[in-house]
Amino acid sequence: MVTSRGLWVRWSWRDLRGRWVLVTAISLVIALGAGTYAALLSTSAWRRASNDASFALLNTHDVRVRLSQGSTVAEGRLAAVVASIPSAASVLGVRERLVVPTQVSAPHDLLVPGELVGTATGTDAGVDDVWPSAGRLPGPADDGQPVVVLDRQFASANRLPATGEVVMSGGARASYVGLGQQPEYFLSSGGQAALPFLSQRSFAVVYATLATAQALTGAAGQVNDVVLTLRPVDRRDPAQRPVSQELLADQVAAELRSALAGAKPAVSAVVSTRGELPSYRVLYDDIAGDAKLWRIVALLVLAGAAFAALNLTARIVEAQRREIGIGMALGVRPAVLAVRPMLFGTQVALFGVLLGVAVGWLVAIPLKAVLVEMLPLPVWVTPFQVDVYLQASALGFCLPLVAVAWPVWRAVRVQPVEAIRVGHLAARGGGLAPLLRRLPSRGRSYRQIPLRNVLRTPRRTLLTVLGIAAAITTLVTTIGFLDTFNATLDDAQHELLRSAPERLNVSLTAVEPADGDVVRAVRALPETDTVTAGLMLPVTAGRQDRTVDLLVEVLDDAALWTPTIESGTAHGGIVLASKAAADLHVTVGDTIEVTHPQASPEGLQTARTVMTVAGIHPNPMRAFAYLDPATATAFGMSGATNYLTVTPASGTSATQVQRALLSIPAVASAQAVRTTTEGMRTGLDEFIGILQIAALVTLLLALLIAVNTTSIGMDERARDHATMLAFGLPARTIIGLAIAETALVGAAATVVGIAGGYGVLVWMAATTIPAVLPEIGVVATLSTTTVLAAFALGVVTVAAAPLFNIRRLSRMDIPSTLRVME
Amino acid sequence: MTVLPSSPVDARAGAEGTRIDLDDVCRYFEVGDTVVKALDGVNLHVDESAFVVVLGASGSGKTTLLNLVGALDAPTSGTIRLAGTDLSTASRAQRTRIRRNTVSFIFQSFNLFPGLTALENVRFGADVAGRADAADVAARVLEQVGLAGRAEHFAHQLSGGEQQRVAIARALATGNPILLADEPTGELDFRTGVAILQLLREQAEAGKTVLVVTHNREISRVADRVIELSSGHLVADGPPAGGRAAIDDLRW
Ligand SMILES: Nc1ncnc2c1ncn2[C@@H]1O[C@H](COP(=O)(O)OP(=O)(O)OP(=O)(O)O)[C@@H](O)[C@H]1O
Ligand SMILES: [Mg+2]
Repeated sequence: MVTSRGLWVRWSWRDLRGRWVLVTAISLVIALGAGTYAALLSTSAWRRASNDASFALLNTHDVRVRLSQGSTVAEGRLAAVVASIPSAASVLGVRERLVVPTQVSAPHDLLVPGELVGTATGTDAGVDDVWPSAGRLPGPADDGQPVVVLDRQFASANRLPATGEVVMSGGARASYVGLGQQPEYFLSSGGQAALPFLSQRSFAVVYATLATAQALTGAAGQVNDVVLTLRPVDRRDPAQRPVSQELLADQVAAELRSALAGAKPAVSAVVSTRGELPSYRVLYDDIAGDAKLWRIVALLVLAGAAFAALNLTARIVEAQRREIGIGMALGVRPAVLAVRPMLFGTQVALFGVLLGVAVGWLVAIPLKAVLVEMLPLPVWVTPFQVDVYLQASALGFCLPLVAVAWPVWRAVRVQPVEAIRVGHLAARGGGLAPLLRRLPSRGRSYRQIPLRNVLRTPRRTLLTVLGIAAAITTLVTTIGFLDTFNATLDDAQHELLRSAPERLNVSLTAVEPADGDVVRAVRALPETDTVTAGLMLPVTAGRQDRTVDLLVEVLDDAALWTPTIESGTAHGGIVLASKAAADLHVTVGDTIEVTHPQASPEGLQTARTVMTVAGIHPNPMRAFAYLDPATATAFGMSGATNYLTVTPASGTSATQVQRALLSIPAVASAQAVRTTTEGMRTGLDEFIGILQIAALVTLLLALLIAVNTTSIGMDERARDHATMLAFGLPARTIIGLAIAETALVGAAATVVGIAGGYGVLVWMAATTIPAVLPEIGVVATLSTTTVLAAFALGVVTVAAAPLFNIRRLSRMDIPSTLRVME
Repeated sequence: MTVLPSSPVDARAGAEGTRIDLDDVCRYFEVGDTVVKALDGVNLHVDESAFVVVLGASGSGKTTLLNLVGALDAPTSGTIRLAGTDLSTASRAQRTRIRRNTVSFIFQSFNLFPGLTALENVRFGADVAGRADAADVAARVLEQVGLAGRAEHFAHQLSGGEQQRVAIARALATGNPILLADEPTGELDFRTGVAILQLLREQAEAGKTVLVVTHNREISRVADRVIELSSGHLVADGPPAGGRAAIDDLRW
C-alpha cells in the first residue's frame, strides 16, 4: 500500500514536470487572481487605519458651527453659545475660527481661489490642528503677524517651495513658513467659496492663527466658525445616556442649533458633525464603496482564474481519460483513480497560492504609491493584512481543486470501454460539427478543420471561450470605469461650456447690491467685457425622507449661460440635475421642500420654501440647480448678488482678468469655467490610479490566459499536426489553421467578454457607483478605444499565440509525437 | 463482406523517380544511460516500381526504417536518398516537399483526423498533394477501399479495420509515387486484407514503389522482394522464398 501511494505521488509529480510551463502559467493565473484580490482588499484596511490615525492625530472636531456666508460675530460669542448648552460638560476642546474665502497669489505666478483659516490658539485641548509636513507652524510670537502655513497638497501639486510668500485678496501679503494639513482639507472640498470642484492644485488653503487671519482680512475681533471636540464616551458608565460618540455629537449639535436660533439676535448658522465633514465622510465612505468596487474587480480576476484552472485541469484529465478507463478495466476504485489528478490539482493550487503571496506583495507596491500620492494623509499605516491574504489563499487553493474534482467526477462515471476507446473524448458525437455537413465544402478539406475543431467539442470550446471571456470582461469592466468617468466629465464640461466658454465665475465675500459699488467696480475694469450679477447659494432640497445638497444659481434672462433644459422649462420653479431629480424621486411638476438661507431685517436665517420642479438639466453633477429670479424671491435677496459672471474683454486672458479682480477686496475668488471642469477631473485621480493598476494586472491575466489556452490547444492538436506534417503540409499552413481556430475562439470570447464587461459596468453604474459617488450621475459608457483594445486583445493576441509555436512545430519529432499521442 | 471493385490506378504513378537508397544507416535512441540501436548499419536499395515487404519481429526496427524513408525522422549516421534527393542534406522545406509529393504514409495507428469525416480524411490526402481533382479522387479512392457507404462517418464511428482502410485511402489519394504502409492488414480480416493487398500490389504494378511492413510472413509471398530485419540489422534481402505467389493463393 505504501509503495502504491508512492507510485501515485511520483506519477502526478511526473505529470507536473511534463507540463511545467502550463503548470507555471496556470499557477500564475491563480496567483494573479488571489494576489490582486488580497492587495486590493488590503487597501481598505490600510485606508481605515490611516484615516483613524490621521484624524485622531489632529484632534478632528466632533461638531462644527459655521455662520452663513459673509456674516461674522464678535470673538467669544460662539464660544459662549457652546458653553451655554446643556451638554457643555461633554465638550473637551473649543476653537473659534475665522474662515474666509480669498484669492491667493503664490510663487510660480500662481493665482487661485482659496481659503484663509484662522484658528484661535489656546491652552486647552486642540481641535482641528494643523500638521506640519515641512517647515514650521507659526509660534506665539507670530500671533497677529503675517505669518502663515500653506496647504501641503496645494504646494506639492504646484511644486512650491516649503517657504515663501503669498498675497491674498485685497493685497494682504503674508510669508508662509511651512506646509501643513488640516483634517477638513485632507480632501479639498473647494471650501466655502461657492465654486464647486476646485482641485487641490487650484485651491489654496492658508492656515493662520485667528489674530493673523483677522489682521489679514481686516476683520478685527470677528469670527465666523467654531469647532469643538467631545470627551470620549465611557461605554461602561450606564449613566452616560448617549452610548456612542456619534449620538453624543448629534445631541450636542441639536442643542447648539436651538441655542443659536434662540440667541438675540438669532444667528444663521449651519451646525454639522464630524460625520458630515466632506473630507471625513468621503475618506471613510470611499473605503466601503471602493472596497465593493475592488472586490468585484478582484472577484472577476478570480473568476477568470477559475475558468482558466478549470480549463487546464479538465484537459489534463481528459488526456488521462484513457488511462482512467484502463484503471477501471483493471478494477481500480474510482476514488483511487481520482488521486492522481487530485494530487496534480493540489500541486497547482499550492504553487499558485505561494506565487499569489508574491504577486499580492508586488501589486501592493504601486497601490500604496497611488494611495499615498492621491490621499496625502499625515499618517499612512500599511501593515501586511494576514487575514485578507489567508482569505485569498484559501480561495486560490480551493479553486483548482474544485476545477479538478468536476472533470474527475465526470471521467470516472463513464463505462470503461468508452474511456478506453481511442479518440472517444476528443470526438464524442462529433459535437456540433455534423451541422456543418450540409454546407457545401468549397476549397481544401483541411481548411475546414479549424471550424470543425471548434464545433466538434462544444463543451471544451465553451470552457475556453468563458476562460478568455472572463479575462476580457474584467478588462472591459475596469477600463469601462475609466471611460464612464471620462464620459461623465465630458458631459459636464460640454454642458458648462455650451455658451460663453471663456467666462469666469466670481464669488464675492458677501452679498452685495446688484447695482452697488462692487459690481460697478468690476464693470469698470478694462479687462472685463460683460458682467452679470447673480446669486449662488447652498441649499438642501428634500422630499419626504430624501434630501440632496444643492448649489442654486439664480439666472435671469440676461444670463451669459443657461443650462440645457431636457424637460420642462427654465421658469416658474427650480431646475434640477436629472441625478438630483432621480435621487429625490421627482419629475417636472412635482414639488420639493428647499431649505435655504433667507435675508431678513435681522440678518441671514434659515427658511423652508416649497418649490415646483420646473425643469431638468443634463449636467451629471447632481449639485447644480438653477432658479429664475421670480422663484428666487424666497431668498429675500432680490436686487442683491454674491456671484458674478464675467467675460474677458477681447484680447484679455483669464489670468489677466483674475489678477484685475484680485484688486477688488470684495472679490473672494474668480475661476474660469474651463478650470472648474478640469478640477472635476482631478477629483477622480485616485480612482483612476488604482483602476489603471487593476487594468494592467487584468491585461496581464488576459494575455496569460489567452496564450495559455492557445498553447494547450496546440498540445491537444499535436497528433493532428504531426500527421499533417507527415503528409507534407508546411508548418506555416498548420500554424495558419491553428490561428484560424484560435481566432474563432478568440472572437467568440471577445464578444462574450465585451458583452459581459458592459453588463457588469451597467450593473455597477446602477448600484455601486451611486453609493461611492452619489454626487455624480454616471451612465455606463464604453469608448470605441476600449472596445477596439478588447477586440485586439481577444482576437489578435489569442490568434497570434500559435505563432509562438512555429519553432516547436517545425522541429517536431513526428514519429515520437505520433507514437506517444496514442 | 466487402468485395473491392477492381481499381484503375492513378495515372501519375511512376511519373517521378521512385528509387530508395539507404547507405549504412544507423538510428540510435539514447534513453538515460542505455542506447537502443533501432537500426544499425542498414544498406538498402529499392529499384523503381517494386512491391517490397519488410518482415521482422516486434521491436526489430521496421517502423523506424519506414519513418526514416518517409522523411519523418533523421538517421544518426548514414545517408538516405529518395528519388535521388539526399534527405540528410535536404532543407526543411525540401523534406516537407518530399513528404507532400513523393512519399505517403499509412500509419500503424491510422492517425485519422477526428474532426473530419472519412471522405474528408481521404480528401485531405488529395488536397495536400495539391491535386486539382481532389474531390473526385477522394470519392473514387474511398470507393476502392469499399467504404463509399461510410463517407460521412467520423473516425470514432468506424471499426479499427474501417479506420485502417480510410488511412490507406488517404495515402492513395495523394497519388505520390512511394507508398509506405505500416502493418496495413494488421486489423483486417482475411478477405479484406487480401483486397487491400491487391490494391497495394496494383499500385506497384502501375509504377509505384510500395513498402509494406508486417509480421505476417504469408504476405511476403506476394512481394517482389522481401527484406528481413532483426534487432536493427538487415538479415535477409531477396525474392520471396519459393517464388512469388498469386494473391489468390494466400491463406492466413
Ligand atoms: N523514440 C524512441 N526512443 C527510444 N527507443 C525507441 C524509440 N523509437 C523506437 N525505439 C526502439 O527502437 C526499437 C525499434 O522500434 P520500432 O518501432 O521500429 O519497432 P517495430 O519493428 O516497428 O516493432 P512493432 O512491430 O512492434 O511495431 C524498439 O526497441 C523501440 O523500443
Ligand atoms: Mg512498428
